[in-house]
Amino acid sequence: MNDNYHIFSDGRIERHNDTVRLVTEDDDKKYLPIENAEALYLHGQIDFNTRLVSFLNEHGIAMHVFGWNDYYSGSIMPERGQTSGQTVVNQVQAYNDATHRIKIAREIVAGSIHNMRSNVTYYNNRGHEFSSIITDLDRCQDELADTTAVDEVMGVEASARRAYYQIFDKVLPNGFVFNGRAYNPPDNKVNSLISFGNSLVYANIVSAIRATALDPTISYLHEPGERRYSLALDLADLFKPLLTDRVIFRLVNRRQLSVDDFESELNSCLLTESGRKTFSKELEQTLEETVEHPELNKKVSYQYLLRVESYKLKKHLLTGEPYEAFKRWW
Amino acid sequence: MAERDIDPVELLLESARSEAANASFHVTGVMMQYYEACERELWFESRNIEINRENPNVVRGTRVDDTAYGDQRQNLSIDGWIAPDMLDDGRIVEVKPSSSLIEPARLQLLYYLWYLDRVVGVKKDGVLAHPTERKRESVELNEEAIDKVESAIRGIYEIVRNDSPPSATEKSYCDSCAYHDFCWSC
Repeated sequence: MNDNYHIFSDGRIERHNDTVRLVTEDDDKKYLPIENAEALYLHGQIDFNTRLVSFLNEHGIAMHVFGWNDYYSGSIMPERGQTSGQTVVNQVQAYNDATHRIKIAREIVAGSIHNMRSNVTYYNNRGHEFSSIITDLDRCQDELADTTAVDEVMGVEASARRAYYQIFDKVLPNGFVFNGRAYNPPDNKVNSLISFGNSLVYANIVSAIRATALDPTISYLHEPGERRYSLALDLADLFKPLLTDRVIFRLVNRRQLSVDDFESELNSCLLTESGRKTFSKELEQTLEETVEHPELNKKVSYQYLLRVESYKLKKHLLTGEPYEAFKRWW
Repeated sequence: MAERDIDPVELLLESARSEAANASFHVTGVMMQYYEACERELWFESRNIEINRENPNVVRGTRVDDTAYGDQRQNLSIDGWIAPDMLDDGRIVEVKPSSSLIEPARLQLLYYLWYLDRVVGVKKDGVLAHPTERKRESVELNEEAIDKVESAIRGIYEIVRNDSPPSATEKSYCDSCAYHDFCWSC
């Protein structure tokens, strides 16, 4: 139950008998075996009708829509099988209690810094000299303990990420100049990779959160937003180094992505359709990778780690048992 | 809570007999079962913390329950709180996919018999069935069983009114529980 299907072509998806069928513009028909699907990702211009939505709902499958330039533009989620008023009440209470909120926010940032650091150490042990960045990240981790307000926590997160992003220019080959994070729109190849990758991680977390009856709009690190699923932003931070960044390093260094996979227009630089296909295929493979989970005593996929993270937060909110954010342990 | 001094058994009977929809203390058959199997699971159930329905054991249990004795039994939904199944011969039946957790199933069935007796006013006999193992066992509500049910009601009351669940303790059947990943992820 954890396959994601990415659809890049234009056309129409429809229910056909007991499965989902994609009809492309040149009338090519493809069938998606949906029994094992977790979510569909629509990247092209796709038509669908209410019959399809009801069918996906019956099978508990989410549909994430990406619009112009592949920005995340929304999700059609299955009606929640189980809602839990109590969960939402506890979620809000934790948000309203300043001490409780900052504790959760700090824990999320502690996890993100840990996971960034683990990427830095990896390359530090492979011929790069990143010890000063490691020191910077450790300093950020220390500063975190002294924060007294959520915007200070945010500030520490930002400076940690700035220090961390320095490794991109060193790890990636010439032709992939990064020079700091920019978005809306991304101004170079690396930024467009990060934007695309992060939006896929984000959509995956939206699915994971909705499987738990947590409300995706009530968050602790980010301010609850009007439009965005800000809880997904909170949790996505933990997984970006493991998912987005590793996939970028792998694809670019193995030359599976080259300068030809990007197109520049005006001030923006974006992945081409084939570049997006390469990226999402690699990300899907990464999500299927497994790791031995010491507490659960079994192998779990990276994708399932997202679900586990939602369980952990929910359990913390409902039982008061401590929440420890995901920190890469292998 | 104002009810603190009342015996939970009396409180439950009062709630069951009361017309008011929001009367205060109810125990379902599933809660009885969880009380015997895992008090933490009982607390989760009382807070509507949903289980992972993709769990293979949940799927299997539901399927066995849906298919066994389909033509010989009917479901009695009583007060919206308990829903025992009755066989054509008038006995109350509880169907379980395996006999590995027999005590929880027995307590659940005894509770139905107790409830029918004390609240509805009909005396029934019970049968515990494991169709996949071709096993059946008769269950009756004697003095000892009544004590067991009533002390379980008191125990459930204590657990459910706590703000936090009993902490996780490892049991032989944790691995197959639908809450496994919820309990043991930290």
